[in-house]
Amino acid sequence: MRLPARRISPGRADGKALVSPVPFSFVGGADPSKGTVLDESTGCRGEPLAGRVFAFPQGKGSTVGSYAIYGLAKRGIGPAALLNERAEAIVAAGAILGGVPMVDRVDLGAFVTGDRVIVDADRGRVDLPEVTPRPVVSAFLRNRGRFLVLRRSDRVGSFRGRWSAVSGYLEGREDPRDRAAQEIREETQAKGARFRKAADPLYTRDGATAFIVHPFLFDVPSRRVTLDWENLEHRWIAPSELATLDAVPRLGIVLDRLLHG
Amino acid sequence: MRLTPKQARLGREGSAAQRKALQLLVALGDLYEAERLVPVTSAHVSGASYKLIGDAGVEFLEDFAKDARVAVPTTVNPLGTDLQQWRELGIPEAFAEHQARVARAYEAMGARPVYSCTPYLLGVRPGLGEHVAWSESNAVCFANSVLGARTNREGGPSALAAAIVGATPDYGLHRDAGRQPTIVFDVRTKLEGIGFSLLGLLAGKDTGDGLPYFRGFRASEEDLKWLGAAVASSGSVGMFHLERVTPEWRRARTRGLPKVVVTARDLKEVQKHYTDGEEADLIALGSPQLSGDELRAIAALVDRSPPRIPVWVFTSRAVREACPGAVASIERCGGRVLADTCLEVTLLEHRFHTVATPSGKGAYYLPSLCGQKVILDDIETLLERYA
Repeated sequence: MRLPARRISPGRADGKALVSPVPFSFVGGADPSKGTVLDESTGCRGEPLAGRVFAFPQGKGSTVGSYAIYGLAKRGIGPAALLNERAEAIVAAGAILGGVPMVDRVDLGAFVTGDRVIVDADRGRVDLPEVTPRPVVSAFLRNRGRFLVLRRSDRVGSFRGRWSAVSGYLEGREDPRDRAAQEIREETQAKGARFRKAADPLYTRDGATAFIVHPFLFDVPSRRVTLDWENLEHRWIAPSELATLDAVPRLGIVLDRLLHG
Repeated sequence: MRLTPKQARLGREGSAAQRKALQLLVALGDLYEAERLVPVTSAHVSGASYKLIGDAGVEFLEDFAKDARVAVPTTVNPLGTDLQQWRELGIPEAFAEHQARVARAYEAMGARPVYSCTPYLLGVRPGLGEHVAWSESNAVCFANSVLGARTNREGGPSALAAAIVGATPDYGLHRDAGRQPTIVFDVRTKLEGIGFSLLGLLAGKDTGDGLPYFRGFRASEEDLKWLGAAVASSGSVGMFHLERVTPEWRRARTRGLPKVVVTARDLKEVQKHYTDGEEADLIALGSPQLSGDELRAIAALVDRSPPRIPVWVFTSRAVREACPGAVASIERCGGRVLADTCLEVTLLEHRFHTVATPSGKGAYYLPSLCGQKVILDDIETLLERYA
């Protein structure tokens, strides 16, 4: 799989991904002499940075972080490349000073720790040679402030038994919105669904597959649904209830983007 | 981002430091969607206190100083201690040594050997519309708001890169559009003494990374220094307007902006919020460094009512040397006048636990940077209390 990215610091690197879901500060967050992660909240405490493509949403904390990145790079115990969703000046300056290739504007949902990642900052792209992309639609139906969620059956290909929106694979070059409308008809038989909104696609991973999720919101005039073989049960929920369900990864972000994006 | 032929040549044929500096400016320019680099007439670089930059900073600066030379007049932020008095202050020798290495690295790059957070009090006063690249948030706020010069809130590395290239990415506060206010503060109380610091602390919090427009009071340049230092501490603020006072207030469009009314009670609340100490073991004045007038005024107050706890006064080397009488008065009652360093970037946690100060900026940073509890009050009140 290949993702476009924006060059921040030039260069190319090939390494194993180390992914922190939370913003990172190199001051206090990394051991300056050992080159390991110290920050517990990253979920990567103790992991060495050397040789890794270190991915986190954005930098935070002290501006001395730039010098800390430089120090790690000089000692050869810093990351092989840096990857951010939104770069800011501290980490960007550190990457340049330390000569560490860096890109941003990539969705961290496409990566899991351990992936082989090739960052080519000069060409503005990131390759995950062992990951296969799979575009899908994820459509929320809304009726009087509540949203339809479905529990996936044992006969579907992924995320069995977990809660999801109406979803399906995109085939060939078809229009994602048409696919969403068709999945709604098949999975719910809901009548009169009206398109309201689409949001930017986001990534979510299942093993070696990266789903490229196209979010959609439709309004329906009634809460009557008839399920097909793909789902076991359904619920109409308030957005706040989503967090309490065993849902497919990033479903909350899909809904959030539709409502607030 | 488009470079001029001269800038592009620097990127190809310049020294290693020039190439690196240009690369850094271009990356930041792209990051903030600048279209070009704008030439600057001066740079002010933060990141000089060994306490804050640590070994990583020393290492970088020494490496960089091997071939980096500044292309425009450059001043540097305060050090982590006064290198002429560190023994008397009980500073560990290793700390002083590392600190001296930082100073030598900056001097090797051609920076003025002046370690101050108030370059605008030392003759570096860019004029209306002049572009500069300054870090140190209070100096940025003063340059933009009071002088009408133009600078973003640079970080240490980006200001240093600008010093070496002589230019900075043209975005944010360099552009007319970036100098428009985002929030109005209607001040309905008379401001005196720490009132300016208190207003700044309050407004910075409400402004976030926006730009405040104040009205309802007049202020001297010194008052604006304290206001700006505080507003740039509690908020990511690089500029403010004050109606009928600051040079660009007429250009500011305030229609439709959110408005905050500030009363005496609000300011009292701010003072209470930042005061968590009970008994101070040090009175500290600075943050930002005092001007000559301020130093003399403090000396007169201390002379009249000598405090029973130590007083540390932070100023620039130039002001300290220009005011020997005031320095003698303060030292006579056991106080110290420290130069080339400043309140929260200096090492004081090895001796003190609770600091009393009239500085809003000091009150904001002392807990996190020095592990201190704080008493925020007017100097007259503090001297009376600790007489």
